[in-house]
Amino acid sequence: MTQPVSIIMIEDDEGHARLIERNIRRSGVNNEIISFQNGTDAMQHLFGADGSGLVQKGNALLILLDLNLPDMTGIDILKQIKENKYLKASPVVVLTTTDDSQEIKRCYELGCNVYITKPVNYESFANAIRQLGLFFSVIQVPPAAT
Amino acid sequence: MTADAQRRRTVVQILLLSAGLLVLTVISAGSVYLVNKARDDAKWVVHTLEVENQLNTLLLEIRRAESGARGYLLTGEDNFKADHEKAVAAIVPALDRITRLTGDNPAQRDSIEKLSAAIETRLGQFGQELEFVRQGQPDKAIALVREAAAANTTATIGTVAGSMIQEEERLFRLRTVNADRSQTFAASMTGIGSGLVVLFALISIWLVRRSARARDNAEVRLRDSNVNLEAIVDRRTADLREANDEIQRFAYIVSHDLRSPLVNIMGFTSELEELGKDIFRRIGGLAGAPVGGPPAEIADMPLDGPDKQLSADFSEALGFIKSSIARMDRLISAILNLTREGRREFQPENIETREFIEGIVASLAHQAAEAQAEIHIEPLPNIVSDRLALEQIFSNLIDNAIKYLKNGVPGTIRIRGRTKLGYAIFEISDNGRGIDPKDHQRIFDLFRRAGTQDKPGQGIGLAHVRALVRRLGGTMSVSSELNAGSTFTITLPINWNASNRNADK
Repeated sequence: MTQPVSIIMIEDDEGHARLIERNIRRSGVNNEIISFQNGTDAMQHLFGADGSGLVQKGNALLILLDLNLPDMTGIDILKQIKENKYLKASPVVVLTTTDDSQEIKRCYELGCNVYITKPVNYESFANAIRQLGLFFSVIQVPPAAT
Repeated sequence: MTADAQRRRTVVQILLLSAGLLVLTVISAGSVYLVNKARDDAKWVVHTLEVENQLNTLLLEIRRAESGARGYLLTGEDNFKADHEKAVAAIVPALDRITRLTGDNPAQRDSIEKLSAAIETRLGQFGQELEFVRQGQPDKAIALVREAAAANTTATIGTVAGSMIQEEERLFRLRTVNADRSQTFAASMTGIGSGLVVLFALISIWLVRRSARARDNAEVRLRDSNVNLEAIVDRRTADLREANDEIQRFAYIVSHDLRSPLVNIMGFTSELEELGKDIFRRIGGLAGAPVGGPPAEIADMPLDGPDKQLSADFSEALGFIKSSIARMDRLISAILNLTREGRREFQPENIETREFIEGIVASLAHQAAEAQAEIHIEPLPNIVSDRLALEQIFSNLIDNAIKYLKNGVPGTIRIRGRTKLGYAIFEISDNGRGIDPKDHQRIFDLFRRAGTQDKPGQGIGLAHVRALVRRLGGTMSVSSELNAGSTFTITLPINWNASNRNADK
């Protein structure tokens, strides 16, 4: 990555977060990973105290989003990110256990860039995350300013 | 109203009708009897009148005979004599008739005897008178007439006849009164009887109207309760539907949420496995290093003794954990798929069933060839249904048929179809290993299987198929014996109807 890109991970399950982080690291991605275990904290960080998203102006962000959160659904977060003028250009990767086709369709319609279902089989899981890491290492992420 | 009151009313109704019938019978019998009696009475009245009539006739004839005789005596003309003789000839039959008519009355009989005696005497006198005239001794005849007048025979006859007439008049009065009474009695009996019948009829009508009213009320209540019942059924159906949806949602959420921790368990177990490998490599390195020296760099030192055992135990435990997790994951996926199927909306379309099944069979051709199975498709009725659901149903059943053939026996699988009362009936039969009748229910249960467990499977297929068939508005059954093949029968509606559960969600 040419710019320092921050990876924002919104994942309520600590175990999942740890496994994801480990496998991303294993693929050689050394970017800062900021994790959040609930939607409220994540929203606070992304949109700032005023909720405008101005705080992220000029930052390059890559968002890893779980759909099942204790306090809100990931879909709401996705929607708000894609409606915010500072954040809408940031790539969003939905990484969740849901493999419902309706849900997947909905996410892509709302502007999610990648949808990945977490496989229970750990090899597949690790493999998927590592490939995602490789993907992270090659994609260009625009800064969150327009 | 209670059944008791109902029964009581019925009994009253029957009693009333019986009473009416009885009264009618009595009136009829009484009328017949009384009419007969009145006729008798009338006959007696007529009889009395006739007797009187005859008595008068007799007296008249006697007088005619007397006047004829006198005329003859005075004039000696023959036509008087002829008159006399005609009268005399009429007397005897008249007397006879009276005797016959009054034979029933002892008092009259006595009088008749007296009358007969007097008339005989008188007739004898007539005879003598005429005899004297014929012999040319009119004086003697006249003397006889005087004698007769003195003996007062004629008067006697008159008196006797008069008393008889009086007697008959008395009888006449009596009998008239009798006849009147009979008639009055008959009339009043008919009147009272008719009144009773009319009364019974009125009561009956009242009762009938009352029960009709009760019936109308009952009908209204019945209609109300029917409407109520429908409302209740609707409400219950809605409840059931809601409960079903709830269960579906529940199953979905539970299975979904169970998956999350499973990812962790599986992930960290794998991590642990890697860690274990690292640790045992280090142990091996340590064990292989010279005492006091640095540990060996190369990690591939073979373990020995208790260390090797520890490593094996470690791997075994992790292996069990991983295989259990994998199994649990398959089960959860199966439940998820089932609930997802339960929520999917059907898209009804016309299906050329035979072509459709041929497509499925073609996709299973590889398995069929491996199992040496021949699949025969007979002509099948076309239906309107959901293509995806049908595909799952038939491919599951045909796949099962291929999968559970008898080892070493070439398989024959037959797919037949027919229609009956708006339903298409499909049969998929094989000559495979069959299913024990005691397992016929079990094979449709989720995660349950039957027979020799020599084929891979989760026990999901048939549960899934049956759920689909039900959602399509059909039914499904199996008939099979162990080692005698199986026949699965699916009944599906030919036309798609809105009541299929598609409309629910």
